[in-house]
Amino acid sequence: MSWIREGELNLLEKISANVLKAGPMPKHVAFIMDGNRRFARKKNMERQEGHMQGFNKLAETLRWCKHLNIPEVTVYAFSIENFKRTKDEVDGLMELAKQKFERLLEERDNLEKHGVCIRVLGDLDMLPLDLQQLIAKAVITTKAHNKCFLNVCFAYTSRYEITNAVREMAWGVEQGLIKASDVSEALLSECLYSNNSPNPDLLIRTSGEVRLSDFLLWQTSHSCLVFQSVLWPEYSFWNLCEAILQYQLNHKSIQKARDLHRDHQALLQLEADRACVAEHLQHHGNGKPADAQRRQEALLHHTACREERVHDFLEALKHKRDSFFNDLCTEGVLA
Amino acid sequence: MALLYGLLWRFLLVVVHVNRALVSWLRVWLRSWKDRLWERAMATFLSLEKLPVHIGLLVAEEEPSYTDIANLVVWCMAVGISYVSVYDNHGIFRKNNSRLLEEIVRQQQDLLGVDGSKYNVEFLSNSSDKHQPTVKVLSPEDGKQSIVQAAQQLCRSVENKERRSKDISVSMLDILLRGTLQCNIPDPELVLKFGPVNSTLGFLPWHIRLTEFISLPSHRNVSYEDMLGALQRYGVCQQRLGQ
Repeated sequence: MSWIREGELNLLEKISANVLKAGPMPKHVAFIMDGNRRFARKKNMERQEGHMQGFNKLAETLRWCKHLNIPEVTVYAFSIENFKRTKDEVDGLMELAKQKFERLLEERDNLEKHGVCIRVLGDLDMLPLDLQQLIAKAVITTKAHNKCFLNVCFAYTSRYEITNAVREMAWGVEQGLIKASDVSEALLSECLYSNNSPNPDLLIRTSGEVRLSDFLLWQTSHSCLVFQSVLWPEYSFWNLCEAILQYQLNHKSIQKARDLHRDHQALLQLEADRACVAEHLQHHGNGKPADAQRRQEALLHHTACREERVHDFLEALKHKRDSFFNDLCTEGVLA
Repeated sequence: MALLYGLLWRFLLVVVHVNRALVSWLRVWLRSWKDRLWERAMATFLSLEKLPVHIGLLVAEEEPSYTDIANLVVWCMAVGISYVSVYDNHGIFRKNNSRLLEEIVRQQQDLLGVDGSKYNVEFLSNSSDKHQPTVKVLSPEDGKQSIVQAAQQLCRSVENKERRSKDISVSMLDILLRGTLQCNIPDPELVLKFGPVNSTLGFLPWHIRLTEFISLPSHRNVSYEDMLGALQRYGVCQQRLGQ
């Protein structure tokens, strides 16, 4: 089955889509595609067949999202915790992923036509090498596309992602690129795997479970959460519409909460900068109390320096991540 | 055409709002109609399959009512929940935590009588490792900001060459963030979310990895049966932990 589904919506779907589009639409939707195994059990099929149908549903959902003008989708494909499943099932899922990424590379022209950029978020080192290389190839091939974005979380948990971000910042400190005092909420966000995406507006979990299971904990702190009881392979266009309607009902309050949080964050940054400057002036001020103007100048200077350090560090981090993918890709070609 | 769709959308929203209002009105009406005493008696017989050790009460964009939150806290303690966290994204409960404390003590005496004095009420600011029911009042600062502080602490130790960046692990960060909740309180297994907004609004992002979220329409005038109903729903949730 292909990654890209062609085809228009039917008349009723089209009208409903247009009605929804008259309201505020989410720009980024995240899915926990739960219920493939329960679906297989219900229909008396092989477990692997359930996972297969789950993938087909993803392709269909991407088509709906395209028609609903939702440019970005993130899905939870495989958690680090899932490695605990039976070897049989894990191997089956790795095989499925291999097939699908091979298929993706075959479809590169079509992906280019639709402008689909694929990103994979997670610790690739945990995966078999041949899958790593396939993923790297797929990511590099679609890198320049910019109409729609699909982020696949693979070998991912949110706590691991946050820890990895802290590790990257500590690496920056080791390299002398940033100081420990430069660590902030904004910087941590920039070091996450998801640094190229805006935070999801809407998170949908299927199959009736009401928890996040270590998925995008940081990014969804001000997102609309919708839990639906339908099993993922049975997900329909109308389920998606219902979730979007929920988002629209929540939109204003969440926007307000987001603004409040943003203002608070800016205030914290200013306070942190002030504290750094005060400490600096105390050490280098020869005991004289600094006047307001000198303090203001020092603050501006400090902020500019910090921003420059952070900028250089993020460039270095980007370079490090890009070369990880490039190396995997060239290794794959040589092998 | 766009105008028509716009009108239809507004109409749809009104329909949903009316539907919501009707459902909640019906619930209140049904409740007053049923014999509440009988229901209460039943509730004590219905066994709760499992109880959370730590419960979070999240008020999402509602005018806070100290009495109702105090009631909830006391009920939670009375059914045997050891830790209760109270959160709102404006930090109102944190700012007025002495008022909440007073209200909890008063409700305790009202609802549990003299017996209530065995429950100790504590707040985040006073550290303690006594094994008694504990109330924590949390605000947005305990969320992402505490993760940032832990990150800063680790980076500082790297700066001072006490640690290498490669050694930083999930469990290391987890131990530091346990400090947010103090004295080895487990992560909340259940969060009851009150109010019309379906979002965590910054509630402890690190700690809600496996937390079940159950929504109730409002914390204002919430009843003991509402809370028991939510606890029963939690009782049937199954965790597979990735398997």
